[in-house]
Amino acid sequence: MPELQGLYDAVVNGDQKAAVRLTKEGLDAGVEPMELLSSYMIPAMDEVGRRFECEDYFVPELLLAARAMKGAMELIRPLLTASGAQPAGRVAIGTVKGDLHDIGKNLVASMLEGGGFDVLDLGADVAPEKFVDAVENKKVDLICLSALLTVTMPSMRTTIEALERAGVRDKVKVIVGGAPVTEQFAKDIRADGYGENANSAVALARKLVMAARAA
Amino acid sequence: MSHLVHLQVPEGQSLKDVLFERGVEFPCGGLSQCGHCKVRVVEGHVPITQEMEWTLSPAELAAGWRLGCVAEAHGEVTIEVGQWEAAILADDTVIGYERGQGRGAVVDIGTTTLVAQLLDLSNGEVLDVRTSLNPQSVHGADLMSRIDFDLRSPGVLQGLIRKAVGEMLEGWNAAEALLVGNTAMHHLFCGYDVEPLSRVPFETAHGASRVFTSNELGWGGPSARVEFLPCLGGFVGSDILAGLIAVRMLESAPVIALIDIGTNGEIAIGNREAIVCASTAAGPAFEAGRIRMGMRAATGAISAVEVRHGAVRCSVLGGGEPRGLCGSGLVDAVAAALDLNRVRTGGRFTGGEKEFPLAGNVTLAQSDIRELQLAKGAIAAGLRLLGVERAMELYLAGAFGNYVSVRSARRIGLLPELPEKVTPSGNTALQGAKALLLNPTRRAELVEAALTRTTHLSLGSLPGFQDAYVDAMVFPDH
Repeated sequence: MPELQGLYDAVVNGDQKAAVRLTKEGLDAGVEPMELLSSYMIPAMDEVGRRFECEDYFVPELLLAARAMKGAMELIRPLLTASGAQPAGRVAIGTVKGDLHDIGKNLVASMLEGGGFDVLDLGADVAPEKFVDAVENKKVDLICLSALLTVTMPSMRTTIEALERAGVRDKVKVIVGGAPVTEQFAKDIRADGYGENANSAVALARKLVMAARAA
Repeated sequence: MSHLVHLQVPEGQSLKDVLFERGVEFPCGGLSQCGHCKVRVVEGHVPITQEMEWTLSPAELAAGWRLGCVAEAHGEVTIEVGQWEAAILADDTVIGYERGQGRGAVVDIGTTTLVAQLLDLSNGEVLDVRTSLNPQSVHGADLMSRIDFDLRSPGVLQGLIRKAVGEMLEGWNAAEALLVGNTAMHHLFCGYDVEPLSRVPFETAHGASRVFTSNELGWGGPSARVEFLPCLGGFVGSDILAGLIAVRMLESAPVIALIDIGTNGEIAIGNREAIVCASTAAGPAFEAGRIRMGMRAATGAISAVEVRHGAVRCSVLGGGEPRGLCGSGLVDAVAAALDLNRVRTGGRFTGGEKEFPLAGNVTLAQSDIRELQLAKGAIAAGLRLLGVERAMELYLAGAFGNYVSVRSARRIGLLPELPEKVTPSGNTALQGAKALLLNPTRRAELVEAALTRTTHLSLGSLPGFQDAYVDAMVFPDH
């Protein structure tokens, strides 16, 4: 039996090589993929989020942890899909039209993935129609919109309006985030929520998806 | 006949600040080594310091010459600026000089500050200098917030800047004025739509030079020709184009680099064959914005920090009680904390403490280090992606370049180890504009050469940028 606590440490310390190696060893030894995810990787990402909140970690450490998580997930994801395990929810995420900044978006995507979500990353400079398409054809529960520039924030509004026009706005929850975005702005553009950072985005995503499923 | 400048030194500002705002250069970076910033005091009192005795001769001191970079003055002084006197005639310059007649003006339209110089076209002397704050600043400190404001309230910023520049040139009777500035300043002055600058790929179709008559701009006085020089691409404007001319990049055989660090960092690297340029958003940390005890370089600001015998020693502007930290002090403070192993390469305080004491009540906060990491990461990633290590020499333009310690800038990874030679160069935008003003027959050819040889790169769209940015946020291991 491999030392699985090492997987937790590898993610927290952002050591991608170790994370991949230990995941492989765990799987080879017959550990359930879901067990690796829920007992080690998700708690590790929670710890990373906690360290970020208390200013112990900053963007570089967060991204390194996300890379380690991603490496391990690439081994685990196909097995989870094959076993028919239910994700926490399906999310489409992207940086809005006109904006290329994707560091924040990538972080939130990794944290969501670490939180057990099935994440469809649409990339940066994403046109509103692509989000509409994700709702219509990919059955996502949640859309996450990111913008770093004040001047591209209006694209968030345009995206929500496009969802309304396509008649799919009530089929999906929309949350927004990024340096210039505020709670008030989220309300103004009729988003369902605002995440101040990657960690709070995951908590918000869980809350919204659970509420939608309960309804 | 020398031209005298009457200055009012505001409370809390040094004479160096006032001189810098008027376009005086400090070639050795204010280390009182070169003597090139010397000024002759005609009226008012400027005490002699030890540094001046080292650098200037007794005869010079007796004649009233002082070092501008270390001079202390209060209230009103009248001085003669050494480097403005026939500097262009005396130099083995740049691109020579054509003897003209009458007067001409150059204006550097910065996002924060405006500087205008009046020149005698017959001998190249600076006759007068005026500075003012960019009145657009009340509608946003950085470029993006200006663009955002203009999209919501079109025309307001154009009105403000045209009026401000008109007032600066009033009474000068210049037959011609050359204006330089970044692409956003160019568009807002000329009245072009800034919408293309608000989204990727941040490219405009209206970057060309634009000629006005002063009358059509609504300025009084005799009619003058007013030209806003062309942009290089993206946000990189004619201020950098002029900078290329000032540092002679268009004639240089070895590759050299020019970087102007402010809220927006602009970089150009190349030689007479080819030049690449880019801009990168650094945010306000280098101007001490969003820094907990940040302040501008004024009395009470910690402007330099060094480590002596394992402890920090701070220099406070004006010598009194420390009140805060300015941009150069911030870079020094973080470098010192790294040297003392108080900060890890990731940026976290080693012992998990929340702050690092500097002097008096002034401390460096954990969040200040994070702001600096974001700012320096953007510049350092840009320099790396443009291949700064190819350069023989790095010219640091702008106010920050004049004040920052190169050693500290390297220690925090803002500047690379190579090239070894780093030269603070002052306002290269104004210097280059002057060179173009004084060479009317070669002007078009020089501007054309700069435009055709320079390629603008959009850093954000380069595949390696995000990774390079994150890597560059980490402090180097020493």
